[in-house]
Amino acid sequence: MNKALLTWLVWPLVKFLVAFVIVQAIVAAMNWVERRLLGLMQARLGPNRVGPKGLLQIIADPVKFLLKEDIVPASAEKVAYFLGPILPLIPAFIVFCLIPFGPPPTFTVTRVNVGLLLILALTSTAVYGIILGGWASNNKYSLMGGLRSAAQMVSYEVPFGLSIVGVLMICGSLDLVTIVRYQEANAWNFLPQIVACFIFLVSMNAENNRTPFDLPEAESELVAGYHTEYSAMKFAFFMLAEYSMMIVNCCLIVTLFFGGWTLGMFGMGLTTDVLLHKIPYGGLLAALIFFAKVMFFLLGYVWFRATFPRFRFDQLMDLGWKFMIPLALANIVVTGVFILIGQERLLYWIGIATIGAAAYFLFFARKPAPTRKVMHASPVSEAKV
Amino acid sequence: MQVQYPKQRFSDKFLLLDMLEGLKTTLKELFKPKVTVRYPEERMEPTERFRGMFRFSYDRCIACKLCAVACPIDIIYIDVHDETIEEGGKKKKVKVLDRYDIDVKRCMFCALCEEACPTKPKSIWLTTKTYELASYDRNDLYFNAQQLEYWDDRPKYTGLPEAEETPKPKLISGGVQ
Repeated sequence: MNKALLTWLVWPLVKFLVAFVIVQAIVAAMNWVERRLLGLMQARLGPNRVGPKGLLQIIADPVKFLLKEDIVPASAEKVAYFLGPILPLIPAFIVFCLIPFGPPPTFTVTRVNVGLLLILALTSTAVYGIILGGWASNNKYSLMGGLRSAAQMVSYEVPFGLSIVGVLMICGSLDLVTIVRYQEANAWNFLPQIVACFIFLVSMNAENNRTPFDLPEAESELVAGYHTEYSAMKFAFFMLAEYSMMIVNCCLIVTLFFGGWTLGMFGMGLTTDVLLHKIPYGGLLAALIFFAKVMFFLLGYVWFRATFPRFRFDQLMDLGWKFMIPLALANIVVTGVFILIGQERLLYWIGIATIGAAAYFLFFARKPAPTRKVMHASPVSEAKV
Repeated sequence: MQVQYPKQRFSDKFLLLDMLEGLKTTLKELFKPKVTVRYPEERMEPTERFRGMFRFSYDRCIACKLCAVACPIDIIYIDVHDETIEEGGKKKKVKVLDRYDIDVKRCMFCALCEEACPTKPKSIWLTTKTYELASYDRNDLYFNAQQLEYWDDRPKYTGLPEAEETPKPKLISGGVQ
């Protein structure tokens, strides 16, 4: 076979398919993991009836989606209604071509030198499907959900992008592989960019419409939001896109802030060179490390969902525009100043100090619990006649 | 009652400690044992004073019909005939119970029949530990005297209708509160 064809078409395609299958398997499993974990955190058991520990739920849910009746509202805008669930799915799949799951060239589908920019561009298009679906359903709740989603995604795209700028300034590249190589040589970016990491984590939740920010599908207000009128496989497509996007964002935060496929900081531990040349099947181990980190953040999504209550819409906008964006801009300025005076190392110590202080206050100097003072009730006054 | 909140420290605001505290709480909750009882496999054992299904005693019953009178929805059906028996040379008239049925499907378990029963100990009482009264057929819930006395033999609901052997339920101590 032609060698060029092999390197440029066949291998990337095979790698993409492998990544695709693994990601879809994770999505299916997440359905069960999320419900189970959420249940356990809410003092109940979660789905445990189908199969051992409810594990067959992973199969039962897709089967249910496939067999259910596909209802299309009579007054729906047909073309847009069908495009709605498909549009967010496409970028969610394409993005996996750009993410380095392990050391290149084996574990990356393609290595693009503006990979990060491309990922940002692709993930942003997911909102079109949601708006289209919400509008085409011809249902006021769907439309409200779609509009909310649009406003939210546009608002949080800004701090999402701005928080990455700090990382780019430190690493000096938009290439995800270079960013990981920089982190293994120095420290994982969450230390010097702790503020950016926090902003990224929050806007990542908002981008995915996950629970503290799940206003587009707030079931207590909007029935089910933009997918109210969708049933069966179309609904499953929306879910598939959402969960794929969650995995994409987890991959991004791991790559940008938590050292990608490497383990160990400040040039120690399992770096790419060690993995590739010293350990048998080191590349595979690297991919597994990456996978483990991604799983941690996926479980983090569930953890946040179990912990935080939903925002009101104006609070959400306030948080985005009045807090997150100024904070992200300030982070860029501070990072820039430190780079300009050549004291990048100081940023690490700021990060370490912040984490240390948080741990100290959380575990050793806890805030005193609110005290309850029983007020003596005033004696019941005689009823005036 | 008045709740006094402690002063917000600078560190609490700056480091978002309340949110971290929340995350800590949910994480702790994850590993706590759950109290859910998975019913058909696990069953709760009721406490000693639990009031469940009726029990009737044919031997103790004097056929006075007081329970039927006390019943607010008249679902206790009693038929009685008189018999004369000789006891120590004396002729004695006794009431013999022909029929003692309770239409349990309409019963509201008010236990007024138990209250009205004059025998000691009661010949109809509710302090049994059975609460599994569900049935696939409403006619199964019409109990005659014999059924009322020996309903322990009734096949129990196991969750698996075709199961041949009744799995031994795992009893959980502590009981129903």
